[in-house]
Amino acid sequence: MADHFFTFSIITLSLFVVASSGGLESELVADLLTLQAESKSGVIHLDDRTVSKFLTSPRTPRPYSFLIFFDAANFHDKPELRLRELRREFEIVASSFITNHNSSNTKLFFGDIEFRESQSSFQLFGVNSLPHVRLVGPTAKSLKDDSDVMDQGDFSRLAESMAEFVQYRTKLTVGPIHRPPALSKMQLGLITALLLLCLPLVAKRIFAGETLLHDPKIWLSGAVFVYFFSVSGAMHNIIRKMPMFLVDRNDPNKLVFFYQGSGMQLGAEGFAVGFLYTVVGLLLAFVTHVLVYVKDATAKRLAMLFTLLVSFWAVKKVILLDNWKTGYGIHGFWPSSWN
Amino acid sequence: MAAPETSTAAVPTLYTNNTLRNAFGGVLSFFILLLIGVMAFSIRLFSVIKYESVIHEFDPYFNYRVTQFLAKNGIYEFWNWFDDRTWYPLGRVIGGTVYPGLTLTAGTIWWLLNSLNIPLSVETVCVFTAPIFSAFASWATYLLTKEVKGTGAGLTAAALLAMVPSYISRSVAGSYDNEAVAIFALIFTFYLYIKTLNTGSLFYATLNSISYFYMVCSWGGYTFIINLIPMHVLLCIVTGRFSSRLYIAYAPLVVLGTLLAALVPVVGFNAVMTSEHFASFLVFIIIHVVAFVYYIKGILSPKMFKVAVTLVVSVGLAVCCAVIAVLIALVASSPTKGWSGRSLSLLDPTYASKYIPIIASVSEHQPPTWPSYFMDINVLAFLVPAGIIACFLPLSDASSFVVLYIATSVYFSGVMVRLMLVLAPAACITSGIALSQAFDVFTGSIKFQLSGASSNTEVDAAETSSSTAESQTDAVKTEKPEETAKNRPSRKSKKKEREHGEKPSTKAKAEKKRLLALPLESSVISLLLLVLLGAFYVVHCVWAAAEAYSAPSIVLTSRSHDGLHVFDDFREAYAWLRHNTDVDDKVASWWDYGYQTTAMANRTVIVDNNTWNNTHIATVGTAMSSPERAAWEIFHSLDVKYVLVVFGGLVGYPSDDINKFLWMVRIGGGVFPHIKEPDYLRDGQYRIDSQATPTMLNCLMYKLSYYRFVETDGKGFDRVRQTEIGKKYFKLTHFEEAFTTHHWMVRIYKLKPPKNRIRGKTKKSKSKTSSTTSSPKRGGTKKKNPWQ
Repeated sequence: MADHFFTFSIITLSLFVVASSGGLESELVADLLTLQAESKSGVIHLDDRTVSKFLTSPRTPRPYSFLIFFDAANFHDKPELRLRELRREFEIVASSFITNHNSSNTKLFFGDIEFRESQSSFQLFGVNSLPHVRLVGPTAKSLKDDSDVMDQGDFSRLAESMAEFVQYRTKLTVGPIHRPPALSKMQLGLITALLLLCLPLVAKRIFAGETLLHDPKIWLSGAVFVYFFSVSGAMHNIIRKMPMFLVDRNDPNKLVFFYQGSGMQLGAEGFAVGFLYTVVGLLLAFVTHVLVYVKDATAKRLAMLFTLLVSFWAVKKVILLDNWKTGYGIHGFWPSSWN
Repeated sequence: MAAPETSTAAVPTLYTNNTLRNAFGGVLSFFILLLIGVMAFSIRLFSVIKYESVIHEFDPYFNYRVTQFLAKNGIYEFWNWFDDRTWYPLGRVIGGTVYPGLTLTAGTIWWLLNSLNIPLSVETVCVFTAPIFSAFASWATYLLTKEVKGTGAGLTAAALLAMVPSYISRSVAGSYDNEAVAIFALIFTFYLYIKTLNTGSLFYATLNSISYFYMVCSWGGYTFIINLIPMHVLLCIVTGRFSSRLYIAYAPLVVLGTLLAALVPVVGFNAVMTSEHFASFLVFIIIHVVAFVYYIKGILSPKMFKVAVTLVVSVGLAVCCAVIAVLIALVASSPTKGWSGRSLSLLDPTYASKYIPIIASVSEHQPPTWPSYFMDINVLAFLVPAGIIACFLPLSDASSFVVLYIATSVYFSGVMVRLMLVLAPAACITSGIALSQAFDVFTGSIKFQLSGASSNTEVDAAETSSSTAESQTDAVKTEKPEETAKNRPSRKSKKKEREHGEKPSTKAKAEKKRLLALPLESSVISLLLLVLLGAFYVVHCVWAAAEAYSAPSIVLTSRSHDGLHVFDDFREAYAWLRHNTDVDDKVASWWDYGYQTTAMANRTVIVDNNTWNNTHIATVGTAMSSPERAAWEIFHSLDVKYVLVVFGGLVGYPSDDINKFLWMVRIGGGVFPHIKEPDYLRDGQYRIDSQATPTMLNCLMYKLSYYRFVETDGKGFDRVRQTEIGKKYFKLTHFEEAFTTHHWMVRIYKLKPPKNRIRGKTKKSKSKTSSTTSSPKRGGTKKKNPWQ
């Protein structure tokens, strides 16, 4: 640890000496500042030419670090890579850094490289998987071996953890992250105005008692839906970002809808069982509250038959699925003389 | 069953007949309720029968210790109790940081029993508090459901609640925790609210506030009540159901309830300052505005009223906006918007997983999957939708409350598995309603078909009881319809003979309703299937109570081919500490064992399960992850005499300290950055075999766990990790083994006394050989350790 500090301080010292003497380097920094000002978020778009200009050709130590986001436009539609989201977060870090330092900090620049247009740069860095963020320090000679890679863990909390990575590696403070508000001021004002306009109308209808809210059917279906939604474990799927189904590892043509083991469930599985849970109750309510009033005896009989069969099947299915999934052997406690 | 028939035959008028039937029904319900109470109590005794009368788990030990203190020193001492046996050297103000409801309840029971000369120990009272309150809770469920849908539904719901697995899991004998009494308080508060709503009586409104006070005393979950009731009031107002009864049910609760809640030290001014309570105040304002509008409407002519409305709406809107603006400003001024992290994660389910890993990491805060519902409410999951629909036919103030209760609680349970406990009563109530109505319809149909076409009235009876809340008069309808079905026809036919002459006008109506019955054979089959479903529920609940939820986790058992093994190592170790160490000695262990050590060994601990001080926990975590010398220095600076580690490698007990060790590293590293998680991982993998990193093999936790372990089987095979340990032969320089329990599950080490300075030379050469890799870190530890 101690000798790390030592080398680092030497580097920074020598860096100052070099920066003050070299006119070429101040030119590069000025170029970068212009590019940074041109880009909307402060992320400089790099290609093969600029990579060589700013990173490979200048003598080390360079007067700046570069944090580079490796992007590929043709992978943007792959949700599991989260490229779009991470890029947006990266831009937030960049713009926060720039605003916090009043665009006067020339120690760190943010850049991105697109795969299609600068494939040789990708090779230069040895990047073969995405998402990938790399910090090129002032002393890095070989772009591939001397630069720091941001691990998966540093993406996890998005902009905040990226900022921590930057602070830890470069000893430069990023400062508070400025996220753009979810709604712009204009939109917010518009919505408030609309709400204010609607308020008397809504109030009038409430007094008159003729809103949708006065219809118990809406409430009924709402309540049953909430029930279905919850018992199907949809919240689990949302929080854990579970897929609807998996592809069987052994046989890619086969889809797995049911996952064995009680700690996890797949989306389709949850909805299927949630449906089974709900349908029995609905049928029971149908029998007790609707079917009784039906006049036709055969219709009654058929409906009852259908209800009984479906309910029996649903309950049996859930019991079997539950035993299969959890592996519990539920048994009764009978008197020992019965055995 | 035979008694009322003979008596009804003798009484000539319908009126007396009804009174007698009611009296009989009342007595029968009373006995059924008594049996339900006995069942609720006895189904929770499996833990006592299978193990022994012992307090379970971790938190109950703290509650037990507090109760002991209360029983010994009285309420004032308890209220001002500063505990110096924990969080050494900081201590903890117990009186102001616990929810006192449970402790006071058990203390009162103990005091009462003792003043009646029944000499039960405090522990016995604590063990059986939860089952007793389960019986109370099922009676409260009866009352609540009776207010909503009549006696039959009430009894069914009470029977279901008495054995619902979700509630059993928190209230088996020995599980002496807040939830045990809180669920009773929750249901009872809801009952009193509904009762007030139905009667408009200020007496019940006052009782409601007091019951709410008891709930606030018992559990942090009281915020559910103070948000659910305002929601219901708002719902009633919005759907045009405002009445003076609603006002009486709500306004006193807010005023009195908030005042009383502020009396509980742990809540205090939170009752008016935090956002969890703001909803109730907002609705309090709204209900006053609405009441005022209704009042004006009553004294003005319709035309004048219209003028007044425009006036009031414009003025009222301005006032409302101002109030809302103030509220928003208040809320926005606090960093978490005034909401605690746990409440926020309920509103936005993805919140916790993003921002608060410590909440997200707790297993009972995980979102449940569908098998959890089947495990915890079992077949009720099938019946609830029918109950919801029954609540809408017809919709009353009370039944709309039940719908709101089930909808919110089922949503919350979907976010956090521990809130299944709040869902369970709601599920029991709705399922009780559904089951009792289904039984009504099916038995009614069978009765109708069996007694032939001439009987007109029986469907009528089934009809009235199933449809409205007024059916309380029909109290004979219990949740045992098979029996009543057998008895009814004879009684009914007698009744019919009388009614025939008296009520000819009903005949036409009854003729029309005759068609309302369901086919006989399908009714019988449905009835059988419903009984089968109920039987499955009972089997499941008994199984869950006996097998899944009764393990005390302080005594462990395992069944193998050569019989039952009992592992009583924890109590062995705590007893050793109690009897062989000085009363003021400090014992360090990971925080999980803090409550147990103070309660059972009566020794001072450094950290415990009330994780209020992260730095302190991190200090212990750092010590456990440091090499021996550094750890010794940290512990010595904390006056620690003994270090206790839990080790399951010999018997295969998986939740031991080696498995929890990464959390110690993480928490320690969070405060003292020289502890880094990657140092303990080989290629991202946590391992303790020969591939483990040197930091791992030299840390205190490894050494204390595996010291002399190789002597047991000659190889040092760890049965939890299923591997041979990495470093087998080593000596301890700063610790000495004081005690190891029978199955090696708890190992206690004593810190060696500091050495004389004169021996510095020899020590230096020794430590050089023992751990060379870690020597540069020592300087860092010394600087960063806050206790030096």
